[in-house]
Amino acid sequence: MSIWELANPRRFMALSGRILPGLSWAAGLSIGIALVWGFFFTPDDYQQGSTVKILFIHVPTAFIAINAWLMMLVASLIWLIRRHHVSALAARAAAPVGAVMTVAALMTGAIWGQPMWGTWWEWDPRLTSFLILFIFYLGYIALWQAVEDPDKAADLTSVLCLVGSVFALLSRYAVLFWNQGLHQGASLSIKQEDNVADVFFYPLVLSITGFVLLFVALVLLRTRTEIRLRRVRALMLREAR
Amino acid sequence: MTGARALLGRELRLAIRSGGGAGLGLAFFLILVLLVPFGVGPSGTVLSAIAPGMLWIGALLACLLSLDRLFQADFEDGTLDILMMSRLPLEALVAIKAIAHWLTTGLPLLIAAPVLGATLHLPDAAQPWLVASLALGTPALSFIGAMGAALTLGIRRGGLLLSLLVLPLYVPTLIFGAATVSAAATGGDPLAALTFLTAITLASIAILPFAAAATLRLQLS
Amino acid sequence: MAGLKKKRRIQLIVIGAVLLAAATALVGYGFRDGIELFKSPTQIAEAMPEEGDRFRLGGLVKEGSWERGDVHRFTITDMNEDFPVQFAGIVPDLFREGQGTIVTGSIEGGIFVATEVLAKHDEAYMPKEVADALKEQGVFQPADG
Repeated sequence: MSIWELANPRRFMALSGRILPGLSWAAGLSIGIALVWGFFFTPDDYQQGSTVKILFIHVPTAFIAINAWLMMLVASLIWLIRRHHVSALAARAAAPVGAVMTVAALMTGAIWGQPMWGTWWEWDPRLTSFLILFIFYLGYIALWQAVEDPDKAADLTSVLCLVGSVFALLSRYAVLFWNQGLHQGASLSIKQEDNVADVFFYPLVLSITGFVLLFVALVLLRTRTEIRLRRVRALMLREAR
Repeated sequence: MTGARALLGRELRLAIRSGGGAGLGLAFFLILVLLVPFGVGPSGTVLSAIAPGMLWIGALLACLLSLDRLFQADFEDGTLDILMMSRLPLEALVAIKAIAHWLTTGLPLLIAAPVLGATLHLPDAAQPWLVASLALGTPALSFIGAMGAALTLGIRRGGLLLSLLVLPLYVPTLIFGAATVSAAATGGDPLAALTFLTAITLASIAILPFAAAATLRLQLS
Repeated sequence: MAGLKKKRRIQLIVIGAVLLAAATALVGYGFRDGIELFKSPTQIAEAMPEEGDRFRLGGLVKEGSWERGDVHRFTITDMNEDFPVQFAGIVPDLFREGQGTIVTGSIEGGIFVATEVLAKHDEAYMPKEVADALKEQGVFQPADG
């Protein structure tokens, strides 16, 4: 089956309806297991003590916060190029999830930062970039709300997503110039995964997997809602005639 | 190019004659900067420390002020449809509108900024850099603003939404603009920040008219 | 007259490309010499900032230099030059000897008086027991953040 068949709303509804329950369970279970494992069955860090355990929420939420925007970018491009409505609606559905994840990453970061760095908030490049990302999410959601015609709203938000991505990247480098930062480098990368000891690494990977599943489940759910909303609106229009 | 010159002349005349879109940004800038000492106190050391940032924030907000009318008036009375049919490409139309916006809001700020800088105890050494950074940075504000104005065209009470969309896009310009001035004020090297600021402005002028024109086409289709 | 409009648009694209190339060249020029974000003790030794100028000083807390108390005194080093620092306040958990720190303040009478002390930590996460064992064997070198 080609992925473009999902562009047909009927196919999309059928397939997403079938996988959604399993996906939700998998997401809930893996997050649950990862957090219990991470919070109660991992040792304290050699420097950070038990505060390190917020890692198991902070890293996955930050991961989703960035990748949700990337997903919206891809979905926007698909809408602009191929005009598939499901794609535009998926981008719309992902934005509030991404915004909430950004807030969660910022808040867990603040809770981590207070004992570790000695401050709740520091205008560190990475923290600031996340704050800017959050404002981008707000603007994107607000534009969707403000434009009444759904296709035009999809067009305009897609353009905003493209332009916003360029400027978000630009801001990322601008804030590096502006302040050197306390935030540690990324611990997880393909090249050097031995930064994180195995005891922390496995629950962390499980937690990230869980949050990714949660994100996909939420986006599917919200996209289904949007499609149904459109159907209801179409029915009501027909009724009114 | 007569069409372009005629359009530029029209935009400037409209901004100067009809209700002073031109003077408004400047007046706002003056008031905002003159209010700062009342808020933070008259201490010269404090004022000179925050002067670069305050002047740049003032310039940025003053630019925002008249943005929502950039395409709106022409959109409402149908002029925009006629302009789109003219020989002038839509990209050029956007660029001319942005240039006219800069001439009526950005340029007056350049002239007022040194005087206001002096009231905020900005060191003399930083004054030329303040003017240079505003001259090279504020065009980006107008072009980014034109993009935002195109996105929010036809939205009721779009002004607030326009600010929400445009302000995060202004962050890099603000950082490099204020960094140029404060580096000059504290004896650092202002050239690095000014270089990046100029790069952002050039890239904005190069790319955003095309994006804004595409947006206008989507809006009017 | 659609031909003219098209020609004009191509002219615009050419202008845009030239501006973009200029912007790229400027960015390259700007990155030519690295960007300094905080000063190290060596940089201070080379060019002493004016007394009272606020700036950020970064480096490692020198082993054996930390005197605790209401006013903390310690030395920041970059393994080349040292600079004495004093700070009245509570230092963060991760502040320890041999670890990275960034302090904000100004020089007063040859001593850096900090108004803020921040601890940098590295991106390694390791159970406490493992780190202790490694230290006993003398294998483990705490990374300098």
